[in-house]
Amino acid sequence: MMTGKKRYILYFVLAGALAAALVWLNILLGSSDVKAFEILGMMTGKNPDAMHESIIFNIRLPRTVAAFLLGGALALSGYMLQTFFANPIVGPFVLGISSGAKLAVALAMIFFLSRGMSIGLNMMVLSAFAGAVAAMLFVLAISMKVRNMSILVVCGIMTGYICSAVTDLVVTFADDSNIVNLHNWSMGSLSGINWDELKVMAVIITASLLLTVFISKPMSAYRMGEAYARSVGVNIVMLRVMLIIISSLLAACVTAFAGPVAFVGIAVPHLVRMCIGTDEAHVMIPASFLGGSAVTLFCDLIARSLFAPVEVSISSVTAVFLVPVIIYLMITRNSRQREDRS
Amino acid sequence: MSKGIRTEKLNIGYKSDLITGICMKVIPGSIVTLIGPNGCGKTTLLKTLTGELKDRGGLVYLGDDDRSWLKASEIAKRVSLVMTYRVRGELMTCREVVETGRYPYTGMLGILSEEDRRKVKEAMEWTGTKELSDRLFDEISDGQKQRVLLARAICQEPEILVLDEVTSYLDIRHKADILWKIRKLAKERNTAVLMSVHELEIARNISDTVIALGEGKVQRIGTAQEVFEESFIRKLYHIEGTDTEILGQMPWDETAAAGMETEEIAKETAEENEGFTHSSKFHGRGKAAAIMIQGTMSNVGKSVIAAGLCRIFSDDGYKVAPFKSQNMALNSYITEEGLEMGRAQVMQAECARIRPCAAMNPILLKPTKDTKSQVIVGGKPVGNMSAAEYYSHKKEFTEDILSAYDSLAESADIIVIEGAGSPVEMNLKKDDIVNMSLAEMVDAPVLLAGDIDRGGVFAQILGTLDLLEPDERSRIGGVIVNKFRGDAKLFEDGIRILEDRGGVRVIGVVPYMNIKLDDEDSLSERLGQSVAEDFDIAVIKLPRLSNFTDFNVFEQLERVSVRYVSEPSGLEDPDMIIIPGSKNTIADLKHIKENGLAGAVLEKASSGTCVFGICGGFQMLGRLIEDPDGTECGGAEEGLGLLPVETVLEKEKVRTNITCSISGATGILCGMENTEVSGYEIHMGRTRPCTELTEFTSGGTGYCRGNVYGTYIHGFFDRRDIFVPVVEKIAVSRGKTINVAEATDQAEYKDRQYDLLAKCLRENLDMDRIYEIMGLGNDKR
Repeated sequence: MMTGKKRYILYFVLAGALAAALVWLNILLGSSDVKAFEILGMMTGKNPDAMHESIIFNIRLPRTVAAFLLGGALALSGYMLQTFFANPIVGPFVLGISSGAKLAVALAMIFFLSRGMSIGLNMMVLSAFAGAVAAMLFVLAISMKVRNMSILVVCGIMTGYICSAVTDLVVTFADDSNIVNLHNWSMGSLSGINWDELKVMAVIITASLLLTVFISKPMSAYRMGEAYARSVGVNIVMLRVMLIIISSLLAACVTAFAGPVAFVGIAVPHLVRMCIGTDEAHVMIPASFLGGSAVTLFCDLIARSLFAPVEVSISSVTAVFLVPVIIYLMITRNSRQREDRS
Repeated sequence: MSKGIRTEKLNIGYKSDLITGICMKVIPGSIVTLIGPNGCGKTTLLKTLTGELKDRGGLVYLGDDDRSWLKASEIAKRVSLVMTYRVRGELMTCREVVETGRYPYTGMLGILSEEDRRKVKEAMEWTGTKELSDRLFDEISDGQKQRVLLARAICQEPEILVLDEVTSYLDIRHKADILWKIRKLAKERNTAVLMSVHELEIARNISDTVIALGEGKVQRIGTAQEVFEESFIRKLYHIEGTDTEILGQMPWDETAAAGMETEEIAKETAEENEGFTHSSKFHGRGKAAAIMIQGTMSNVGKSVIAAGLCRIFSDDGYKVAPFKSQNMALNSYITEEGLEMGRAQVMQAECARIRPCAAMNPILLKPTKDTKSQVIVGGKPVGNMSAAEYYSHKKEFTEDILSAYDSLAESADIIVIEGAGSPVEMNLKKDDIVNMSLAEMVDAPVLLAGDIDRGGVFAQILGTLDLLEPDERSRIGGVIVNKFRGDAKLFEDGIRILEDRGGVRVIGVVPYMNIKLDDEDSLSERLGQSVAEDFDIAVIKLPRLSNFTDFNVFEQLERVSVRYVSEPSGLEDPDMIIIPGSKNTIADLKHIKENGLAGAVLEKASSGTCVFGICGGFQMLGRLIEDPDGTECGGAEEGLGLLPVETVLEKEKVRTNITCSISGATGILCGMENTEVSGYEIHMGRTRPCTELTEFTSGGTGYCRGNVYGTYIHGFFDRRDIFVPVVEKIAVSRGKTINVAEATDQAEYKDRQYDLLAKCLRENLDMDRIYEIMGLGNDKR
């Protein structure tokens, strides 16, 4: 078995190549037929067709970049949550955090739209973040009470359902004109993302990544468990707060722009861990991000190509591809899974 | 102490107090184990010490620093741990697990430097886990895991290593393996190790100190031998009636102690640690080592043993200083600086061959009236106080005591501390500043002395040990049986009984010594002397007599008796009468007039008997003593009228050392003029002649007429040139002959006595052990 650096390098090379290929496919494939040489021509400054150029630059490219960034953000958020709870099979979606963000965004949207105002990007992200943190705190409150991961996950899923139900309710009573829009969003979709949104996204995700790098040292030590981490001088409270804030921020960011995207956050970090054979934070942070990007690019490609021109919700695609992985993980890990907290 | 861990009155527990008042300490290089039944709080204590649990009061010191003031990263560099938690460490290789130990030393991003990697490698090599480096932690055996975790703790480079039940779940081989590593770690890297164990045999074999917890308190702290006493352990684990045969050998079994394993351990550690000096549990405050002598009661010979130790240490080339925080005695000495201190410390200082100074006895209490004492701090009187007043100032006095101690410790290698009375006067213990609480403050080990001559030595020693708190008991480094008469071999059974039941080493049986010393304890014997010999000196025993030592010099002479006389009938027909000094001259003068002694003295004087008055006695010989300012009790009192002098008591106390000469001598002592006299003055008052009068000692310090002599000079007789002619002249006048060939100056005489004392103690005490107790194992000698 290959171990250590070689294995990391191999992973990064392969995942990078895969992501690059997917980026290319995402730009290339779509309902309008734009030829590869045409795209290459655009890149090099030639300008053959205004409509094709618009399709590529205003629709496909933003969507591809969004899939890359948001996918990475989701996986990273999941990785941090898993670190927080000591590597069980959890993610922002199963813990209800994405749903919390969704509910908050929906409420904010309805509130603004009913007053005839359009909701600003910042407002959207902010409300998503508020919703995510609120859901996270609720989950934390439960985790303090019951020290059992299964119950925690069930509670998270229940929270997700409640939030979704309330969101549906709100959508149902919303003005007709907005329903379609809202409905699409609440299903989770990467369509319709523009460059302005991308800028906000990029800022938030870059900031989170930087913060993550700075807590990678205590995250690594925290893998040994709380008592040992404290004994080497880790500020446990600080670390936990940072983990919650960053993972909520990332999950909120995704939800605000693409609606809830399920299973990427939960499955990707575990997949990546299996591939590279370590849980070292310094490696896992970029590796999860890249892995999340590749998986999301792939799933989004399927979502919009499968029944083109009709799109499927991205969560449906992720579910099809990732749920089996999660089930596999549950089965294999069950044999060596112990009570998580001693 | 600069490293290690220490607690003060620590309370621990989760939601309520589980154990209160924990005072314990682990010093570098030693292994301390915690034992006790399940749920007694071993793990809770460890968790509290490592900071995982908040304490519920009290202090934890890491080295010299209060832990609550240290940053987490600073604590992490001093304390590391191996606990019983399941380590999650999913997908972590063993090397990664060990690397987390370097966390406190790496930078912001946790990148390991070359040095960090080297230390990780070293730690893994040292624990024999190097070949596991790339194995996943999840996949190795429990024994390997414990060693990897130990490697992790080691590469954290801690001063203190905390281990919770590291041997549980391990088979014998892995147990032995990890215990060897721990022992090596403590001894080679001078790490302080604190560990909890369930297996008592392990605790017995590996510990320098064992702490037994149970029923919400520390039950006992001591060496394995002291703690593993069958009845105690049975009580601790509530197995008083239980048959333990099914468990195999128990730690108190003789055979268990003498088994192969212990021998091997002892041998191997000796081999491994060549040049390693045994470190004492107690290091003394400041840089000086310390040893404290406490007694089971008054007069067991504490001050003599302390004095003998002073001389022995001094003979061995150490700079020694005696110390006693608080002395209760009338018998004060005046230093060259004019400060007052107790005589016992003066004698000890003489043994130590240093100048006595008031810091050796920072507090001196001199009983004045029935319920009050004059309190002398740092050699100067600060006022008369009742016991209650005194204790209300205890805190300030504590500071005085410690600063005096520190001043001594600065220039001495060893401080020999004397306790007072018994350390277990239970009703007074809370106000103690002279026994165990002093030992604690200055971190001194204690030798407990019992007096076999007065009987009940087993009750004295075992009773005292039993009444001590566990942390106090752990200070007792050995027991001395003092004043043994006869063949010490006959006491071998006694030693065995004391050691078995007390769990403390008997470090010596000291014979009854016939050595003449100026100490408080020998006073009672002197006062008891009642048989007049060939040459008889009668000292008037005043109720508030002070400075008994003025007459010790006569003990050098054979067939000379010094009798203290308190009744007129006891006066008999002495060759010489001495009226000594008094703390309250007027009251004592009244007293001897009332009980008829004054009359008897006058009668003898009129028949030509030689009468000496020293200090207060000199004042009494005069016509009148006035006390206009109420220095003593006010008013005026007519004296004996043997000398035509008058004394006025003044507020200002005269305190000075003096060297002068006899300027004139009348009567029997005619011919002693110009002999040099040295001594010291300590009195309140001036005495002037009423008529023309022969000056006895120069400078107006004494007068004489006929055979009546008075002087203010204490120690007047101490020189051979004085006391020998005095005795000879008087003897000749009374037709007696006295052998004075052996006589020397008192100072020289005393020095000879000190050497005899030191010789006797050296022969009968295990001095190596005493050095070891003080932490001066193989030093110097």
